Amino acid sequence: MTLEQPIAVRPPRSLAEAAEAHLDDVLGYLLYLTRDRETAEDLTSATFEKALRLWSRFDATRGSARTWLLGIARTTALDWFRAESRRRRREEAAAPPERVDEAFGEGLSPALEAGLASLSAGEREVLALRVVLELDGDATARVLGISSTAVSTRLSRALKRLEERVNEG
Amino acid sequence: MTVNEIVDELRAARPQASDALRLEVMTIAARPQPRTPTLRERLAGRRRLALLVPAGAALALTAAVAIGISRSGSPATVGTAAPESAARSAGTTGESLAAPPTAADAATAQKAAPGPVAGRAQRYGAALSLQVDDTDALSEATQEALAIARDLGGYVVSVHYATGDEGTASMTLRVPSASAADAVTRLSALGTILAQNVQIDDLQESLDGLDRRQQQVRARIAALTAAIGRADDDAERARLEEQRAQARAELRELRASRAATAAEARTATVQLDLRTKESEGGAVPGSGSRLDRALDKALAVLAWEGVVLLAVALAAAPFVLVAAAAWATRRMRRRREEDRLLAAS
Repeated sequence: MTLEQPIAVRPPRSLAEAAEAHLDDVLGYLLYLTRDRETAEDLTSATFEKALRLWSRFDATRGSARTWLLGIARTTALDWFRAESRRRRREEAAAPPERVDEAFGEGLSPALEAGLASLSAGEREVLALRVVLELDGDATARVLGISSTAVSTRLSRALKRLEERVNEG
Repeated sequence: MTVNEIVDELRAARPQASDALRLEVMTIAARPQPRTPTLRERLAGRRRLALLVPAGAALALTAAVAIGISRSGSPATVGTAAPESAARSAGTTGESLAAPPTAADAATAQKAAPGPVAGRAQRYGAALSLQVDDTDALSEATQEALAIARDLGGYVVSVHYATGDEGTASMTLRVPSASAADAVTRLSALGTILAQNVQIDDLQESLDGLDRRQQQVRARIAALTAAIGRADDDAERARLEEQRAQARAELRELRASRAATAAEARTATVQLDLRTKESEGGAVPGSGSRLDRALDKALAVLAWEGVVLLAVALAAAPFVLVAAAAWATRRMRRRREEDRLLAAS
């Protein structure tokens, strides 16, 4: 397995430029995190709404626009998870939850789809950042708020688990 | 399926945003920013702290320098000031007066030099420390001091004169007590007064006591002489003559003691120290240049500010620690909650 290092690019001059360049990254990350395309799209919109308000605070010397946007996406997703958790607790008493598994991406094999679905959101997000979006260890660590070593550990475990699930199925 | 195959497949199937989402997001991103953040917002948190720390340090330094300059106008007064009224009234038993060392008060000290009280026997001692411009002035002042002593009917007990990079002259003069105040006044005019000390001890009571004792001893000798004339036997006469001899010896001692005390009261001792400006050894502390004084004051203010800062830091330390612990605990709980959420989803 080889994880390519991102090429250093010029910082975007506007949020529109950053959105144009990194919309797919934000959506992909949120889709892996939530496993629900509709939710991921809503959260993507919310992420860019928030980014518009915070754009003046963006500092290219402290990290790339992609890392900054993914950090906002993560905060937005965590807020959604909290709200979802509260909602689920309220509704579980009345009716059992209905799980709808969506496709993570077009062209994935059913075994890999099933394997991804069996992972936790924490495992899926590290796969999304390091494998799918090909962020380096430091950038991933900044998005997740953990150390680079912890990122490596989480990635290794997630890949091993995913491999086991795919080969089991 | 190997890990490499999984990675390749995941990357190949990278999610793409739909046209509808792209349009929506680009519409959001193209909107004008709600408002420009204020300066306060931009200086929020650590940035504000990073600005406040050097600003506070600069303010403390400026205050110290300003106070140092404003308080460096006149040199510090050292020793006990001798108010003019107190100096005039000097002359009673055991008085000691120290003159102010500043040049401004020198004239006052010269005019107010106290002398012995006429009609009473007093021991008078004065010590003067003067500064002269250079070694030429030192030589002239030394000659002048010796001339003053002779002019007033006194004499020189000792003189030590030394010149080099710095010049000093130290002399002990004896002048008639009646001219003591005059001597101090004239000697004070030879240079800038650095220190002046006058000591007056009353000896009149001691002299009166010696006189009374002499009268008693004389009366006793006369009584013994009469008794010797009346004595019948040789043994009694010999005993009385022995007593008279002792009384006469005592009388001689009393006369010598009275003569010494009276001599002490007749002359005054003046210790005069002269030094050139370069000789700073005896200079009054705090009488340096204005820049030196300003620096001293500024350093003192800075030290005071440091003490206050330390006290505030010590007082605030428990609260800061509690706040830091609360912040760390909150952060740790949030992290755990996030991990739980992501693990359960």
